Amino acid sequence: MNAAEIDSLTAQAVAEAGAAGTADAVEAVRIRYLGRKGLLPQIMAGLKDATGQERGAIGRSANAFKTQVTAAVDARLAALRGAIQQGPVFDYTRPGAWRGPGSMHPVSLVIAEAVRIFARMGFRVAEGPDIETPYNNFEALNTPDYHPSLDTTDTFWLGVGAAGLAAPPYQASQLLRTQTSPVQIRMMQSHPPPIRIITPGRCYRRDTTDATHSANFHQIEGLYVDRQVSLADLKGTLASFAREMMGSGVGVRFRPHFFPFTEPSVEVDFSCHVCAGKGCRVCKHSGWIEIAGAGMVDPRVFGKVGYDAEAWTGFAFGMGVERIAMIKYGIPDIRLLYENDARFLAQFE
Amino acid sequence: MKIPISWLKEYVDFEATPEELAQRLTFSGVEVEGIHRIGEGLDGLIVGEIVRFEKHPDADKLRLCVVHDGRMELQVVCGATNFSSGDKAAFAPIGAKLPNGMEISKRKVRGIESHGMLCAEDELGVSQDHGGILLVGRDVPAGTSLVDVLGLPEVVLELEITWNRSDCLSVIGMAREVAALYGTALRLPDVAFPESGAAVAELARVAIEAPERCLRYTARVLTGLKAGPSPAWMQRRLKLSGVRPISNIVDVTNYVMLECGQPLHAFDHALVAGRQIIVRRARAGEGMTTLDGVARTLSDEMLVIADGQKPVALAGVMGGAGSEIREATQDVLLESASFDAPGTHRTSVALGLASESSHRFERGVDPELADWASRRAAALIVQTAGGAAARGVVDVYPGKAAARRVTCRFARVRALLGIDVAVEEICRIFEALELHVESRNAEGCTVRVPSFRRDVEIEADLIEEIARMHGLEQVPEAPIRATMGAGVDDSRTWAMMRLRERLIGLGLREILNYSFMAEKQLDRLGGDDAARRLVLPNPVSSDYAIMRPTLLAQMVLTLGNNMSRQTADAGFFELGRVFWRDTATGALGEEDRLAIGMMGRVGRSQIEGRRAVTPEDTFLGLKGILEILCRAQTGQDLHMEPAEHGIMEPGWCVSILAGTTRLGTAGLLRRALREEWRISDPVGVAELAVEPLLQAAARKRSFETIPAYPAITHDVALIVPEAVTHEAIVATIRAAAPLELTDVTLFDIFRGNTVGDGRKSLAYSLVYRSGDRTLTDDEANRFDGAIRQALKQHLHAEIREG
Repeated sequence: MNAAEIDSLTAQAVAEAGAAGTADAVEAVRIRYLGRKGLLPQIMAGLKDATGQERGAIGRSANAFKTQVTAAVDARLAALRGAIQQGPVFDYTRPGAWRGPGSMHPVSLVIAEAVRIFARMGFRVAEGPDIETPYNNFEALNTPDYHPSLDTTDTFWLGVGAAGLAAPPYQASQLLRTQTSPVQIRMMQSHPPPIRIITPGRCYRRDTTDATHSANFHQIEGLYVDRQVSLADLKGTLASFAREMMGSGVGVRFRPHFFPFTEPSVEVDFSCHVCAGKGCRVCKHSGWIEIAGAGMVDPRVFGKVGYDAEAWTGFAFGMGVERIAMIKYGIPDIRLLYENDARFLAQFE
Repeated sequence: MKIPISWLKEYVDFEATPEELAQRLTFSGVEVEGIHRIGEGLDGLIVGEIVRFEKHPDADKLRLCVVHDGRMELQVVCGATNFSSGDKAAFAPIGAKLPNGMEISKRKVRGIESHGMLCAEDELGVSQDHGGILLVGRDVPAGTSLVDVLGLPEVVLELEITWNRSDCLSVIGMAREVAALYGTALRLPDVAFPESGAAVAELARVAIEAPERCLRYTARVLTGLKAGPSPAWMQRRLKLSGVRPISNIVDVTNYVMLECGQPLHAFDHALVAGRQIIVRRARAGEGMTTLDGVARTLSDEMLVIADGQKPVALAGVMGGAGSEIREATQDVLLESASFDAPGTHRTSVALGLASESSHRFERGVDPELADWASRRAAALIVQTAGGAAARGVVDVYPGKAAARRVTCRFARVRALLGIDVAVEEICRIFEALELHVESRNAEGCTVRVPSFRRDVEIEADLIEEIARMHGLEQVPEAPIRATMGAGVDDSRTWAMMRLRERLIGLGLREILNYSFMAEKQLDRLGGDDAARRLVLPNPVSSDYAIMRPTLLAQMVLTLGNNMSRQTADAGFFELGRVFWRDTATGALGEEDRLAIGMMGRVGRSQIEGRRAVTPEDTFLGLKGILEILCRAQTGQDLHMEPAEHGIMEPGWCVSILAGTTRLGTAGLLRRALREEWRISDPVGVAELAVEPLLQAAARKRSFETIPAYPAITHDVALIVPEAVTHEAIVATIRAAAPLELTDVTLFDIFRGNTVGDGRKSLAYSLVYRSGDRTLTDDEANRFDGAIRQALKQHLHAEIREG
């Protein structure tokens, strides 16, 4: 095969490749000209036999054959891939076959988010049992035994032995914790200061169930004991939490209050995330929503756990998880959280 | 607690609207829960004279009245009976509007026209009282505007007093707070009154036999009294404060209690046997009837006021019916005493009996207050019921305490509050609150705590006073500190979160159920040991009577509830706690469990949605989830063993093991149970221990070399009797295979004519691979041969060729 013949083959192959209508047809062209048993090996074989000047010309033509035909084949394949396919088209709008829409319960969602937010601030997570001693739940928290929260109308006492409930005081009886504060007591008893923990968990109070009360509910409490911890640290921590949990524009304010285990004690309001404090239905037109109780740990609590109240100060706070979930997601009735209706749960996918 | 602002102003001056005052109080520690405007919107209402009346001809409980409105006589139908002819009453003529928005029009009541309405107090918005129409003095001319007569309107603050501030449970206590807030002076009423005749000590004796429970007891005696209604101004204040007026003597005791916080009790002196008061513990089983008419059995934990013979009052809680003030009462023994908080609380709780008095005593009443309150009450009784007060007082005071002194270090104020408060400001706040600064230096000051501030005990209490008076809005938001906490190990919490997220990733929805459940719900499921149940001694209702010993009962309930709400396809999980009582030791136990429940076409492509769900589908769907969970969370393969469970279908119930660790039970819900909920599809349920599933967090992971040489995949198909399990086949293959066999995968199951009855055909792919060379076909064929031989020999399998 001389150079001219090769050149004409080149033209022919390029034309065939360009005319091929399908990827298979292009592949046939490629095999015919470039394949192992195609024309290219013949041309290369011819090159071996050629001499002198002729050899140079054939070589150039052969190279041109290889590169031009390869380019034509590739170009045609690319063009065919880009073109709209003929025949039946795949309908990608059909439903996906993988059916597994899992969802996290909104109470878990709030706990998970709060735990992550506080963890970034350096808080470790601590948990404890639901069944507690009166010491951990009340006495160590500076709550005297005649405080109304100990009454059988408020607290689930579990009875003494198998005999059931004796008369008050119930010191021998265990109880269902009314708050997660006993976890703070447990942690302070087992860890020297400084300590920075949050304690999510389930709590129990003998409330009659209605739209905002539930006899079991969840709390997240926090405790930070260190050198020179003050109410300003508490405000900074809760303000930071408020912004991350409810939105960047949300602020906090304190109102004086009383809790047996903190002194001073405050109630904590977040500015309304819906109306930005202007007043709306969600915040009952006050611009503020009550979220947490907090304060500086009472020195008498430190005394119970063996912390030196002169050397260390600390703050503690607590808030209801269900309440935050209701406020954050606009859930009107706490009972929806325990009905487990799949149509409700699906909203938290 | 309700306080009329006009009453408050009797003791303190301040310039503020009710809203401004409420704001100041709320941000200094007494939350104002409501501002009630009483008697507003009474503009069109007048005084009407009830000229005469008769029974309504068609209704026994209605009266037909002729009312004179100052100009003419009108016919009015009325349901009340607390009046007689000639009385003057609140009257709403036609066209007038009541505070609740109701407009009065001419209308027929049982067939007779009524031209207006005689009004009760609740209809006028002045109290909750609907006992009868509001009567005014007979001397008021008909047609007078009602507002002129009642002296309304009033603004009443509803306050939430925290448990520690018993001193604020009175008008004067709140006036003291207001005076401190506004920098004005507190004015106390004059308590002087004339004394005459015999000395009290000659008329009454007092003995305290339980001084640990009674800190102080004062008695005064008033004689020659005339019982009757109390003055209108007193009745109005009582009503505005939510207390029902009864008679002058009783009303005075209530009035003074509301005014200063000291509960008082008036005994009919003639009914106090032996003219003798003994404060003692009740004898166990002793009985008495309290003022509310209930006969009560007392215990020796309770404190009583006894006369020479019997208990006449339950100390600090309620008087006895036997010595109460009657219309005929002439002589009164006035008790003003101080009972201990814990004891009063326990008595109140044990008897389920709470009163305005017990509410105050169980929070603590200042013993120093007793004599002042007694004088105040004696003065008012003499003023309103005539008579004379005997000379002096009997005052037994075993619990007198020295004034407390507390030191406040200024550096500590800064340390706790995070703000600098000027020393002058600190001292000003203390003095305004009657915390008298006795000494001070550069470091701090020492204050003398007044007896009424029982809550101020330590330095932190003083610092709280500074915080609330100086203003918490002054406290800045400090940046988050970078110090790390102590090494509290929270790895389990994070492992739980990962487990939860994995379950969600597997396509399950998380549910939460109460920790309580109904006993009958458990009984119906059966299978648990009733003696292990943790039954609540004081449940909120029988639906929440026991602490759940399993998550499965509520899981079934949840699936059923969803079915009845037309959700037929669902996959749920719950991570929750279960509880029990150890039958041997009585000890209470709790642990976390995982429950999974699924029904219907959950997990399946929509396009296959119509195909019936078989028990195999549901079981194997559940098993798939459990296999992934087990491998991912424990690093071990899932293993199942036949088991039995009360709620699961026999033959479809298995124990779940991770290696040799028992995790729990899984299976299909008994048909009868799911049919109760009209669930036609099979229901898969599982309950597992959580702790073994948290091992993933601690599991060590280590790299293994990725195979460098290609694998050879051969298939083997065999026919075996139905009884031969997949697990047995795999075990046989593994036992016969060389190390080069890396995977055995079941890819087809076939039953039918060509296989024969009671037999099944299974096809497996076998993957061979060597770690150090490329295997040849001959080698692979040799491996196959050994495996086929073993299958034939041990399982009597028929190997299908080709």
